[in-house]
Amino acid sequence: SIEKTRGVAPSLLSKYQVTSDSASWTCLDGSKTIPWSSVNDDYCDCPDGSDEPGTSACPNSVFYCRNEGHIGSLIPSTRVGDGLCEPECCDGSDERPGVCPNICKEVGEAYREQEEKDRKIRQFGSKVRASYIAYAQKEKKRLEGQITNSKAEIAVREQEVARLKDLVDRTESLSAAALEHKKLSPLYTTLTEHAHALKSLQREHKKHLEREKALGDILDALRRGYNPNYQDMAVLEAVRGWEALAGLPHINDVAKDDGEAAPNAEEASDAVVEQETLEEGMWTAEQLENDLDRLLKSDYETLLIEHEKHIGASSASTTLLKDRFVSLLETFGIARGTASSESADTSRARKAFTDAEDALKNVQQERDKAQEELTRLFDPEWFGPEGEWKKLQNACLSKDTGEYTYEVCLFGEAKQKPNMGGSTQNLGKFSSWNNAPGVTPGTPEYYSRQSYTRGAKCWNGPQRSVNLIMSCGVDNVLLSVAEPEKCEYQFTVTSPALCLPLEETREGKKDEL
Amino acid sequence: VKSQDFKTCSQSAFCRRGRALADRAELSTSWVSPYSVTPSSISISPQQASFTAAVKSSLYPDINFGLDVRVHKDGVVRVRMDEVGGLRKRYDEAASWALVAEPDISQDIKWTVSASDVRAVYGDRKEIEVVVSFEPLKVALYRDGIEQVVLNGRGLLHMEHFRAKAAVAEDAPPAADDAQVVMQTNPRAWFEGEEEDGYWEEKFNTWTDSKPKGPESLSVDITFPNHGHVYGIPQHATRLSLPTTRGADAHYSDPYRLYNADVFEYLADSPMSLYGSIPVMHAHSAQSTVAVFHAVASDTWIDVARPAPGATETHWVSESGILDLFIMPGPTPDAVFGQYARLTGTPALPAQWALAYHQCRWNYISSDDVRDVQRRFDEADMPVDVFWLDIEYAEEHKYFIWDKKTFPDPVDMTHDVEAIGRKMVVIVDPHLKRADNYPVYKEARDRGVLVKSSGGENDFEGWCWSGSSAWMDFFNPGSWEWWKTLFQTQPRGDGWTWTESTVDTYIWNDMNEPSIFNGPEISMPRDSIHYGGWEHRDLHNINGMLLPNLTSQGLMARTNPPKRPFVLTRSFYAGSQRFGAMWTGDNLGTWEHMAVGVRMVLVNNIGGFSFAGSDVGGFFGNPDPEMLVRWYGVGVFSPFFRAHAHIDTKRREPYLLDEPYKSIVRSMLRLRYSMLPVWYTAFREASVTGVPVLRPHYVAFPRDEAGFALDDQYFLGSSGLLVKPVTEKGVTETAVYLADDEVYYDYFTHHAYRGASAGGKYVTVPAGLEEIPLFVRGGSIVPTRERPRRSSPLMKYDPFTLRVALSTGGTARGELYLDDGETFAHEEGQLVWREFSARTDGSARVVRIGSRDLAARKPAEAVDGVALAQYDGANVYARTIADVRVERVVVLGLAARPTSVRAGGDELQWEYSSGTAADDKTQGTASVLVIKDPGVGVAADWEIVVEA
Repeated sequence: SIEKTRGVAPSLLSKYQVTSDSASWTCLDGSKTIPWSSVNDDYCDCPDGSDEPGTSACPNSVFYCRNEGHIGSLIPSTRVGDGLCEPECCDGSDERPGVCPNICKEVGEAYREQEEKDRKIRQFGSKVRASYIAYAQKEKKRLEGQITNSKAEIAVREQEVARLKDLVDRTESLSAAALEHKKLSPLYTTLTEHAHALKSLQREHKKHLEREKALGDILDALRRGYNPNYQDMAVLEAVRGWEALAGLPHINDVAKDDGEAAPNAEEASDAVVEQETLEEGMWTAEQLENDLDRLLKSDYETLLIEHEKHIGASSASTTLLKDRFVSLLETFGIARGTASSESADTSRARKAFTDAEDALKNVQQERDKAQEELTRLFDPEWFGPEGEWKKLQNACLSKDTGEYTYEVCLFGEAKQKPNMGGSTQNLGKFSSWNNAPGVTPGTPEYYSRQSYTRGAKCWNGPQRSVNLIMSCGVDNVLLSVAEPEKCEYQFTVTSPALCLPLEETREGKKDEL
Repeated sequence: VKSQDFKTCSQSAFCRRGRALADRAELSTSWVSPYSVTPSSISISPQQASFTAAVKSSLYPDINFGLDVRVHKDGVVRVRMDEVGGLRKRYDEAASWALVAEPDISQDIKWTVSASDVRAVYGDRKEIEVVVSFEPLKVALYRDGIEQVVLNGRGLLHMEHFRAKAAVAEDAPPAADDAQVVMQTNPRAWFEGEEEDGYWEEKFNTWTDSKPKGPESLSVDITFPNHGHVYGIPQHATRLSLPTTRGADAHYSDPYRLYNADVFEYLADSPMSLYGSIPVMHAHSAQSTVAVFHAVASDTWIDVARPAPGATETHWVSESGILDLFIMPGPTPDAVFGQYARLTGTPALPAQWALAYHQCRWNYISSDDVRDVQRRFDEADMPVDVFWLDIEYAEEHKYFIWDKKTFPDPVDMTHDVEAIGRKMVVIVDPHLKRADNYPVYKEARDRGVLVKSSGGENDFEGWCWSGSSAWMDFFNPGSWEWWKTLFQTQPRGDGWTWTESTVDTYIWNDMNEPSIFNGPEISMPRDSIHYGGWEHRDLHNINGMLLPNLTSQGLMARTNPPKRPFVLTRSFYAGSQRFGAMWTGDNLGTWEHMAVGVRMVLVNNIGGFSFAGSDVGGFFGNPDPEMLVRWYGVGVFSPFFRAHAHIDTKRREPYLLDEPYKSIVRSMLRLRYSMLPVWYTAFREASVTGVPVLRPHYVAFPRDEAGFALDDQYFLGSSGLLVKPVTEKGVTETAVYLADDEVYYDYFTHHAYRGASAGGKYVTVPAGLEEIPLFVRGGSIVPTRERPRRSSPLMKYDPFTLRVALSTGGTARGELYLDDGETFAHEEGQLVWREFSARTDGSARVVRIGSRDLAARKPAEAVDGVALAQYDGANVYARTIADVRVERVVVLGLAARPTSVRAGGDELQWEYSSGTAADDKTQGTASVLVIKDPGVGVAADWEIVVEA
């Protein structure tokens, strides 16, 4: 019969010490008392399985392998006596004597060797990590300095803006009345109406262009990615139709001769791009694209004033006003005494004001950005409590898998670039560290994963996303890329940022115990 | 479903003609079949079992038909009719593929020829009479004077003879002054109709079927005048008892169709054809069961009508082929199963591991993915035996050729799986990528064993997974030996072999209808040409069977001695049960599909093909945890138990479930593994007798009319286990039908339910998510192995538990069959076949539970096709399990607490909890006696005596 303490973990050994065979024994959960002879008799008596620590009789219990020369381990009882030598039981105690050799010496040695290797990696990695932390400290100083500087500059610029604002208000109040009158001219109202109409048209046009591009992208994705399993003639027709319209070659075609595909494609594109003749004076698409914005940015008020000059119908009152206006500008040093284009003075004042305002906004934004960076620097949900990840912000790692090169820029974006040409797919932007339930920010487990989400949408599928699995390594490397589910990628990455100093982990272990 | 991709009867010319014929017959008051036997031509064979005769049609006096009627040893009547001396030859080889062997003909038949008929009387009691009437031709089978099966009783028999295409311009406009031509009515129109409807060409969607042979369809009516239920003709997503397709209240408007097809997102309630066809139909009543098997391989439509509650009319219309009809006289379901099995073979006894749990997905994407899935199953302590690889393992879908980017080390990967006693199944489809760097295609092309396109000149080219593809023509004998060699794991001469596979790599054959993405009805053009010049239309429904047939032979040839093969097929035909397993194709993750999957598997069992299952979880869609758990409940009680998922679905391996679902599924998987001995024993029985593994109520209780239409609960072999898988959302309890006056014990709680003393009865049973309604019928002994392991081969030496469920009469019986589970050594008697029994001695004070050798008592019935000349109870296999013991005996329904429980004179340890006795009238928890470790071997003779 089997030894009564077979498979008992050291911490429980004291509960399996009974001297006489006729004694009774109580299941560890206290639910039942059985004869001592029933312990390890290969029959499950206790509901908690505690009477069979050394056999497979109770389905949900565990078996302890002592593994002398290595480290003891617990295996599920379902693996006891199944004829297989468990790697976790190097002493072979999980099987009947003679079935599995004791290989704990070799296993222990190999384990220690591996541990030493891991330790070295960790040691080296943690040094790199320390440099990342030092970098974060530098960044902290830099950002704090930047914020201080910005604050000073903001104060100066705020004063300048106030001064110019005052100037604009005064010039504009002078000319405003006259200008308002002129603006009532039918020419001006028609002109502004045309401008509005044109702007609206431009906006609509842009919307359509974007829409067309989006549709094109969808159809491109469909064309490249459609799944022949759907055996769907409607999809096939859509693809073929798109190819004809966009002048693309047939994809996945029953190509009898691959060489034919390319010239066909050229022919097709030639056929589509037919030049139409334009009426004289009409803008080409290129002009519309390049010059319309400039036209729409024309300053109509300046134009109005110049127009008057052009037709030579200036009234006394406007002359008067103008004179006063020019002298005012001269006073403030904005216009020279002999103003060559005095009509533009108002707008010039305004421009000076808005420029100053813009400059102020820029500085404010810089300050805000620096402020945000500073906050994120030691935020556990961003660059870690020690800022150890800051150094890797936008570090781009890539992996060539043959068909594609995958790239992830940490805290930025993940991409899939086809090696044989074609458009790059956005696989998602950084959205969070490990957000699995029960994972606390700041723990090593938290930094073992990153999510990149909301990438380009898959045809007939979700938006692409990346699950980045990270572990300690001496370099920042993208090791592997897989797509376990459609459009959900899994990247594995090593980084020294995850190599905690050895002392820390030891302490951590103690805490756990 | 894309129903526009598939024909309805009205879109199929020959079906239209067949239904129009039936319409005319129905409207006519003086309808009479034009076919008749020429009495003077009758020629009875010397051994008397068969006769031939000339048949004429009054419509075409110059055309000759021949009739051949014979009676087999077991009473099956085979009726064949073909055109004789016609312009061409009709396809007559369907039976040669379907039949397991040429049937033995009867030795004691005497045909009596009279002026109006020829008849023979036979059977043990001379109860069967077969009558072939001359004018009109009619074949009828009687038992005890009652009509069972009638052919051409409604006069719908019509064999369209071969003819030359008339030279008339079809589209010539009728001349205005041709009035007298219009008056010339066609004298055959009363039967054939006025028009030549689709005789020479047929269009469907964008395809045109050139019909070089012209019309050659075959119509025959088969009537069961005294049977109210018909079953069978898989595969359709419908009920077990086939609803009607003709008549005023017809359930479906189209006939049942048999035309193997890859139907995308098929409907859960439809007579549409699906992936496989078995043209066998059972007719059943409380008095009698009979069946017909029509060995025809072309597109076939079957109308079912119920002119009166107790009668069924059917009408079979096929596109081509001869009439080759087998009439099985019954008289019981089991007798019909035996008769059909003697024709087309019994299900092969599978390797035991094939009955365990299979994990599949389209696709496990890399070697490391496979290893990871295996690791996670083991971490979750969930048993699994087989990991599957779908098409993405193959570089550019060139089957056999690993994509080395993702599977750099296929043999190492497979060895890692095998290290835990597991297997791999890898997909190989019959379409070959037309690429010169693909050796399988190249060799097939060079050997000329590819299907030819219309005209027969060029290799047929179509579109499938691999893009531009060619199709294997397995009708070509030149392909047979070559295809088998592909599976050799060692290099072999100049030919290519799959050296990057192992002898534990098994095969999945998919897309073998064949599925052709750009073909008519997603399949092969009917005018494509196979070996021997046959058109694809002639043999379409057989086409799918040949691939798994040859593949399984190829797998057997890998080792010496051979191992049992495992091949899963999507397409199948009568006889496919000899080669492997099938599944119900690409189902949807819906409750309706889950429910109809259960029915489809039952129907397949009726059709002789027991090793069947549907994709657990549903192929398409993302089932919620409740649905997934219930689907596992269905799978655990399916002969073939595989989870599978489409590439667009979320991962759903059971270890990914949250609690409590994860633990529920773990328990279900463990339940399946604990019952592997029951499944294996049931498969042994099916492999010898043809009686299916899953048995609906009408099979178990052929006289209980209330159970004839039941198709949501069934028995597992002869084990006495009755299960009703839950296939509805939100269920907490369900009604289970108990057919007889017997006690049924809840398998888990031991609650005793009781049937009614007369007629059946429904009982309401708990059916929460963690509960599977599973019962042991009183009178059964169920052997299980209750130690969970990671895979089934690791259970080889684990002890058994016996559940003795006493009947109201105080008895019980059960069987256990064991062998090595993977070789053919059982055919040499390396097996253990035991019978367990319990009986209560007269005083009811003593219950004796015993085990005895069944193989020694019935050596001729132990193994399929082999009469073990002498069986040695101490055979080598039996000795390997000599130490395997019965660790526990659980006796349900004892009348009183025992005073002693002994084996071989020794008092045993036991525990007893009192409760309802088997013969009580009350419901409630049964009394349970648990005998601990009685010290008896499972392969030994023993007796345990329980005294009260």
